[in-house]
Amino acid sequence: MKKSPSVLVIGGGSTGTGIARDLAMRGLDVTLVEKGNLTHGTTGRMHGLLHSGGRYAVSDQPSAKECIEENRVLRRIAGHCVEMTGGLFVQRPEDSDEYFEKKLEGCRECGIPAEVLSAEEAREIEPYLAKDIKRAIKVPDGAVDPFRLCVANAASAVEHGARIETHSEVTDVLVEDGEVVGVEVTHQTGTGPYVHGEPGEVEEICADYVVNATGAWAGQIGDLAGVDVEVRPSKGVMTIMNTRQVDTVVNRCRPKGDADIIVPHETTCILGTTDEEVEDPEDYPEEGWEVDLMIETLSELVPMLAEARTIRSFWGVRPLYEPPGTGTEDPTDITREFFLLDHADRDDLPGMTSIVGGKLTTYRMMAEQISDHVCEKLGVDAECRTADEPLPGSEDFTVLRDYMDDFGLRSPIGRRSAQRLGSRADEVLNSVDPNPVVCECEAVTRAEIQDALDTAGTDLNSVRIQTRASMGNCQGAICCHRMANELAPEYDEETVRASLDDLYQERWKGERHAMWGTQLSQTALKHMLHAATMNRDEDPAAADADIDFAAFDDGGASEGDASGVASGGAVADGGRERAADRADDDALGGADGDN
Amino acid sequence: MAITDDVLVVGGGIAACTAALSAAETGARVRLLAHKKSTLRQASGLVDVLGYAGGDGPLSDPYAGLEALPESHPYRVVGEDGVRAGLRIFDEAVGDAYRGGHTDSNALVMTHGGAVKPTARYPASVAPGLASSSGDTLLVGFAGLTDFDAPVAADHLAAAGVPFSARGVTVEFPKRFRADAKVTRFAKALDRDEDVDGGTVRSVLADTVADELDGESRVGFPAMLGDDRDEDVRAELSDRLGVSVFEVPTGPPSLLGLKLEDMLFDALDEAGVRIAAGNPAVDFEADDGRVETVIVDQKSRPTPYSADQVVLATGGLVGKGLDSDRESVTEPVFGCHVPHPEDRYDWSEPEAFDDHAFARFGVVPDDELRPTDEDGEPHFENLRAAGGVVGGADVAREKSASGVSLATGAVAGRLAGEEATR
Amino acid sequence: MSDAESPGNPTLTPDAQTDDFEAVEVFPDSTDMDLRPGADNCYKCTACDVSCPVAEVDDEFPGPKFQGPEQWRLKRKEDEAVDDSIMSCSNCMRCDDACPSGVPLSQMHNTARGEYVDEQMDKLSREYIRNRILANYGTLAQLGGMFPRLANAVMGNSVVQQINEKLLGITAERDFPEFATQTFREWWNERGGPQVRSEEKRVAYFHGCYSNYNTPEVGKAMVRVFESFGYEVVVPKQRCSGTPMFANGMLDDAKRAAGINVDNFAGLIPEGYDIIASCTSCSMSLRQEYPELFDIDGIEDLSAHTYEALEYLRIHEDLEGAVREASVDDQSFAYHAPCHGRNQGLDRQAVELFRQLDGVEIEDVGDSCSGISGTYGWKEEKYDKSMQIGADMFDHMEHAQGSVGMTECPTCSMQMEHGTGYDIKHPLQLLEEALV
Repeated sequence: MKKSPSVLVIGGGSTGTGIARDLAMRGLDVTLVEKGNLTHGTTGRMHGLLHSGGRYAVSDQPSAKECIEENRVLRRIAGHCVEMTGGLFVQRPEDSDEYFEKKLEGCRECGIPAEVLSAEEAREIEPYLAKDIKRAIKVPDGAVDPFRLCVANAASAVEHGARIETHSEVTDVLVEDGEVVGVEVTHQTGTGPYVHGEPGEVEEICADYVVNATGAWAGQIGDLAGVDVEVRPSKGVMTIMNTRQVDTVVNRCRPKGDADIIVPHETTCILGTTDEEVEDPEDYPEEGWEVDLMIETLSELVPMLAEARTIRSFWGVRPLYEPPGTGTEDPTDITREFFLLDHADRDDLPGMTSIVGGKLTTYRMMAEQISDHVCEKLGVDAECRTADEPLPGSEDFTVLRDYMDDFGLRSPIGRRSAQRLGSRADEVLNSVDPNPVVCECEAVTRAEIQDALDTAGTDLNSVRIQTRASMGNCQGAICCHRMANELAPEYDEETVRASLDDLYQERWKGERHAMWGTQLSQTALKHMLHAATMNRDEDPAAADADIDFAAFDDGGASEGDASGVASGGAVADGGRERAADRADDDALGGADGDN
Repeated sequence: MAITDDVLVVGGGIAACTAALSAAETGARVRLLAHKKSTLRQASGLVDVLGYAGGDGPLSDPYAGLEALPESHPYRVVGEDGVRAGLRIFDEAVGDAYRGGHTDSNALVMTHGGAVKPTARYPASVAPGLASSSGDTLLVGFAGLTDFDAPVAADHLAAAGVPFSARGVTVEFPKRFRADAKVTRFAKALDRDEDVDGGTVRSVLADTVADELDGESRVGFPAMLGDDRDEDVRAELSDRLGVSVFEVPTGPPSLLGLKLEDMLFDALDEAGVRIAAGNPAVDFEADDGRVETVIVDQKSRPTPYSADQVVLATGGLVGKGLDSDRESVTEPVFGCHVPHPEDRYDWSEPEAFDDHAFARFGVVPDDELRPTDEDGEPHFENLRAAGGVVGGADVAREKSASGVSLATGAVAGRLAGEEATR
Repeated sequence: MSDAESPGNPTLTPDAQTDDFEAVEVFPDSTDMDLRPGADNCYKCTACDVSCPVAEVDDEFPGPKFQGPEQWRLKRKEDEAVDDSIMSCSNCMRCDDACPSGVPLSQMHNTARGEYVDEQMDKLSREYIRNRILANYGTLAQLGGMFPRLANAVMGNSVVQQINEKLLGITAERDFPEFATQTFREWWNERGGPQVRSEEKRVAYFHGCYSNYNTPEVGKAMVRVFESFGYEVVVPKQRCSGTPMFANGMLDDAKRAAGINVDNFAGLIPEGYDIIASCTSCSMSLRQEYPELFDIDGIEDLSAHTYEALEYLRIHEDLEGAVREASVDDQSFAYHAPCHGRNQGLDRQAVELFRQLDGVEIEDVGDSCSGISGTYGWKEEKYDKSMQIGADMFDHMEHAQGSVGMTECPTCSMQMEHGTGYDIKHPLQLLEEALV
């Protein structure tokens, strides 16, 4: 039997996993390598917008058309990853009518359903919009969960025979006789079902074709292969509000600029964003002015944002690319279109193609195009079916259940859990008894955490990403040690402690950007709980020096307390008196000190 | 007409109660103006005086660490005498319910995560389970209560080097509750010794644990062994099991903290302190450098309270005695000066357990505990401050939270009372 | 990317848009309120959960933190996902009193409950019908007040009580409160209205359903005490304050009643009247729930001018002085502070005041909830829980010296009597004895 051609995909983001799924479904032998966890790159740090294309309807119509097409596809195949919130382009009195009309026209030209709403109608949909807005355009924007989407693609790829390797960093691209034949990976420390190598182990993986789907890192992989891929990484801030001030994607109707979008995401709202070019996609400054800008500018659209609570801010890096020679200065103006760079054509290096640019909304289309290209190169005749088959978890499911009857869960908790788990809800939520809630802010039960641990190993951040545990208003203050406890008894106490520290520190990093007002009080409470009450900052188990226990109070032998009962013998004498008890002793009518 | 007293204490937590008790001792007429329930409900119920200072710790002698603290620390302002005064008031208020007063040394107590921490006073129910006393230990947790994982805690204790063996088991509570039942439900079931299959809650729990015992001399549960009848519950379990039974302090909800709050309010009642609870102090009137009245928002109606002396004990960032926005940190009732770095990113450090500036936020006291302005002058002649609202102490890392409240409360209360009755 | 514009294309011109427009009425019905922003204040301290008397005895009740900030934060706008455990919340409002962070807990609970009843409860169900009846006690009482003796005979009949329980789910364990032979208003009209006139000292009495139909002696005491201080007392037309309606999610009923009350009382405020309530749930409702839940003209004013009876005299008169100089026959009281009174900061006033009355011994029976919580303890499925919640209070009452109970709240009074057999008095009655 002829062996299937093998393809090596570098990059475990939406593009990479989308490609792995597509090629695996076409019968190819696919291996995907990712240096961190799935969604380590841009995919894991975006604002969750499922574009209608409206944002590009004036400035980048090719992108806009791609967006609306894929918007429809994803709604169909990724139901449990997408929330159809709808979107609004809101015009304030100081925004130009001219642009408003251009936007509307642009939407129509690109086939994006667009409806004009009066200010009153807009505020009926979103009552917290500013009272003095002029009007709005309604478009089919949605909210997407990139983590769930990616994980579902990976699961589908594996179902069709692919091999996924996380925590496997590509440290060299293997070139033989002027052709790319594979990669060398160095395995990193990590746990989970997609980790098979030992930390430090170096492995060579050969393949008939290599796809570079590393987004903002595409240039670095290119360097390893000896070719130039000039990605221009650009950072953007995302500020997360504690609650959903809006349930619709709210855009500012003016030419693209900073701080012009609010995206509802799960229980929160995400304010975005900025656009600043950076050198290194992994090392760039996270600056306070960016957070302030989000709050100040977007409160022009939704005034309550000025005083509302934020729970953290984080940054993502866009993998922007433009053909060499275009020379755009401002990253805001760089196209969001995607490009296939076949290195055989442009660099005389066959065996590898890079895919750059693009956006999460069009990941499947990007994957389809490059899969078509790879199949052509390998002489494989197979059709793309990724638009037709639903992703795992998105098969037929409904969130209209009786959660108490079916799972013994309160309505809002059951609903949120089912929304995350999709068609897997029954399988997971009935798997553990008792099934207490571990993360109360985000309604995550023990069953869901245990299920997530199956793919996360000991990485609580991966559990967090999958389940949303510790992503709510307390940012893990109450639940992160509970999450860590779920690692036992499979893992030892030292591992539990180390994982807890990792998660705690990771939460801290983003929380620092929100430390004022109620969030500062929350942080202070968290700090008191973990330092004062739990003494995790001076944990003797982690310290070098031993404690001299004998030097401390041992309770005092003279207490006569062998049985542990309050001294004085009879229980009724022990403990505290209550006012009512004291009432027997002294008539309260004559208490001193009041006149 | 304004309601008038000698000393008005604004606040309702451990510092406010101590200040009120201390002021009452001078014979002054004292009123407590409390808003909501205190932060004791979130705290472990232990009384930490000083556990870590000058890079050293855990300290077995808290007093030895006082000199290592910075000059601006409240302990340096009130001195060792102030600390001891606070503890005296505390010991008198709680009586036998707390232990540890027989020695100056700190005890080492197990935390609900299985670490060990130094503290100066601990509830009677915690006493038999000190990490600094010997006795092989069995820890018992319940499957539906996610905060306390007994096996993990026991292993953690071992890793911490405790001088006894520790083992943990997870059992079913005798009554089958819905998974999200509150801890007060468990405590009530034990208090009332409710009927269950095979006996009562206490007897069946004892049976369950007896099956797990393997030579240990003491058994520890998370702190939920009853509320009103806690001593009964513990004594009965102990009798049935034939070993000591103790409680491990927890985080929120903390029944031990709740009980301490009750004890302090009982003591206030006994001392004749008037209490006006439920509404916030929002404003004040002053004349000639003295606070004349404090205005309380009684369901959107301003109600004035006047007094000769006022003690501000409204708490810190957690107790909401300190407010903040993106630019600054403030004290909302009297507008006292709260020093803070200009850039809010300097309010915290990149590492989670570092020396954060926010942990020390608060008003700056003079040597009479009066909050001072930017020039170091007291804001008002008759306004003092106590507890979390006072800055300069990193109580979370030092393990000094209750101690600072007790010490500053005792001294501020005494000074206020003495002034008012002069 | 040209500036393509289609001049004069009618489809591009939005309709009905001018510079001036009416602000959209965001919350036309109280059930349309979006309280998710209330969750911003919650910092998960669980102080509310440990104050909840229902959670303490009912493991099926997940507590106020879940019912309020967590449940709201988890909601999406159109979700009909209010958990049915919201109907087990007794609206005692102790959680409000405990929250150090200003989370509008009972507002969130009341609104969620209203939503649940509106959208998820079957209007033909026995539960709904029973709740509607209990919530509209005022209307029933009106009927009962017309034929008090007959009503008492019927409601006191054990067969009727059994039918009530089987058919409607109203517990047979409790005795229905008796209707007085003459209502307070009848007495008021008979005596010819106010007997004291004053330009400066004027109060409008909100007597509440109970003081009118069942315990008019409390209303009479109020009038006599206030008149003895020189106040002109008026008694406008009024409806139920709405407390039992909030607790049962009948927000439309409550809003209707509120509208009438605002109409009748708000107009008196510019004439110098303050509004006095003798029932702490009535004063709570007017001061807090009214402005929180209803957007009616004048409601804020009404709220700001409402006082509880004793509270008013403590602030405006030298009540302590008057009490100190008075004396009564020796008597001993066991006082219970109603939860709704606690929230207004009134939990200590009776004890601190009457300690100074010669002849009186009074002690506080502790800070637990009485357990009845208005209509809660009348529901057949909640009766046991209400008695369990009140058990501590009964213990302390029996333990205490006094054999007469005292409280400002009529339903607490019912509970206290039911659990101990004691007679229960309102503080105004003792004041009347001392000062009039």
